[in-house]
Amino acid sequence: MKLLSAISATLLLGALPFFTSSNYVIGVAISACIFTTAAAALNLVYGYTGLLSFAQLGFWGIGGYATALTVMTFGGSFWLGLVWAALIDTAIALAIGYPAVRTNRHAFVIVTLAFALLVTLVARDWVSLTRGPLGIPGLPAPNLFGFEFKTTPLFYWIAYGYALLALGLLYALCTSRIGRTLVAIKQNEPLVRAQGISPVPYKLAAFAVGAAITGVGGGIYAFHLKIIDPLFLDFYYMQTFLIIVITGGAGSYWGVIAAGLIMSTLPEVLRFSADFRMIVYGVVLLLAVFAMPGGVGGWLHERRLARARAGLI
Amino acid sequence: MTAVLQIDQLCKSFVGVQALAGVSFAIEEGSITGLIGPNGSGKSTTIDCVSGFQKIDSGRVLLSGKDITGRPPQAVARAGLMRTFQTVRLYERFSLRDNLTIAAQQFDAAGWVDELLRTARYRDATAAAETRTSELLGLVGLSRYVDADASVLSYGQKKLLALAAALMPRPAIVVLDEPVAGVNPTRIREVEDILRGLNSAGQTFLVIEHNVEFITNLCRRVIVLDQGRKLAEGTPAEIHRDARVLEAYLGLTPETSATEMQGAA
Repeated sequence: MKLLSAISATLLLGALPFFTSSNYVIGVAISACIFTTAAAALNLVYGYTGLLSFAQLGFWGIGGYATALTVMTFGGSFWLGLVWAALIDTAIALAIGYPAVRTNRHAFVIVTLAFALLVTLVARDWVSLTRGPLGIPGLPAPNLFGFEFKTTPLFYWIAYGYALLALGLLYALCTSRIGRTLVAIKQNEPLVRAQGISPVPYKLAAFAVGAAITGVGGGIYAFHLKIIDPLFLDFYYMQTFLIIVITGGAGSYWGVIAAGLIMSTLPEVLRFSADFRMIVYGVVLLLAVFAMPGGVGGWLHERRLARARAGLI
Repeated sequence: MTAVLQIDQLCKSFVGVQALAGVSFAIEEGSITGLIGPNGSGKSTTIDCVSGFQKIDSGRVLLSGKDITGRPPQAVARAGLMRTFQTVRLYERFSLRDNLTIAAQQFDAAGWVDELLRTARYRDATAAAETRTSELLGLVGLSRYVDADASVLSYGQKKLLALAAALMPRPAIVVLDEPVAGVNPTRIREVEDILRGLNSAGQTFLVIEHNVEFITNLCRRVIVLDQGRKLAEGTPAEIHRDARVLEAYLGLTPETSATEMQGAA
């Protein structure tokens, strides 16, 4: 059932450019792919491992700038830029994660939040590198062996392909014993240690993988916008990733993906009313959180639990 | 007989309190030893120090002849000491199966590459853990709950599950921190039988308990702590006759104690 809906959703989304020629609709789909992927990366860090990381915003921005600068300043290709985005974000995640994952949960939140703000400052004030508030406009269409992804539907394949790749990797990770160990660390760290497992390498790996996936997503998204400036580090992005994870259910792989697709299209669906759009969005969000405090995934889990209890009596 | 666990002159103080003032003892292979003492005598501090959850001020801990002094909990566990906790620790949102299989995963041959690619080595390790899980769940009588979340269990059942988890990797020694505290009295007998059965199959145990009757029924050797020192060590019968133990532990004078202890045992 889960597999069937996943496969049909995958095929349906993949075939989207054949159904519509509207750049607007496909643009929304690009956002949905990238936001869902970034949210799934946050889900690995926060939902599975229990590390509430605001650093994702910083990784997103660094990924965007790394890709843009590789192309515009250093004359590399878009693809090389994405590789740099992943590498730089991994290195930074390891550097700040190494001390940060040893602190308690509250300190971790503060450290990652401070990091995200710092990245924003760097983007704005290191004018000789980032051009500051002017930003870097005119990011060219990516090119692969002479094939140019110059239209929105063509660019969509990049976002879609990346979403499949990253979500596949996250699926392999989350459903393996590694994923289970991450959840175990979240649930009961002293017990994990008493069972011979060192939590730090697991937390660091989750943080670094989450950073790299978010960074590459940021790189692709920047080239979709065709411009990068400090607004790329607006808290709006962090908030979107977080809302997706919470409504989807922290720690639920499919719940977060479902929420990602819904929550990134919902504001667009609500565009019929420009004035009330965000109010309706807020109300839907509130209702969702009230009805399903554990998100979609938590709700499904509760139902499974209730059936198990009924079976035992 | 060789000592699985040997503790020499363990000292530990918290701000202003000397919790352990030179505790030494050895646990023989295949034995089942009780560690008792009044509240604040240092029982829990001792096992927290031994299992790496507390830093030791001075002293030495040897596990199967290997010096594990000051090693973190995960290193102590890998060296062969598994422990349970006084306030029972489980993965409440995991099934019983996952609660047990995860306890063995650090001890098998499958690395993270095997895990990601689901290699044959990974599948073998998983199958072995699965077999061990069924065996242990059967032993503690929780087989029918194998797919239920641990959170549905009663308190006593949770303690049994924690015991099963500690046994998963066949450790050199299992340290149980109050295995029957808060457990329904009628079920204490069951726990006793389970532990005795495992011990006759060769498993070494160190059991910390408040319940003196449980300890004297179960253990062939008892260590008594008081105010961070070892007060006495011997067979349950010897401990019962020891005047210092009676006074420190039960607050009894030797004259009144003999009859009362007979009743208690």
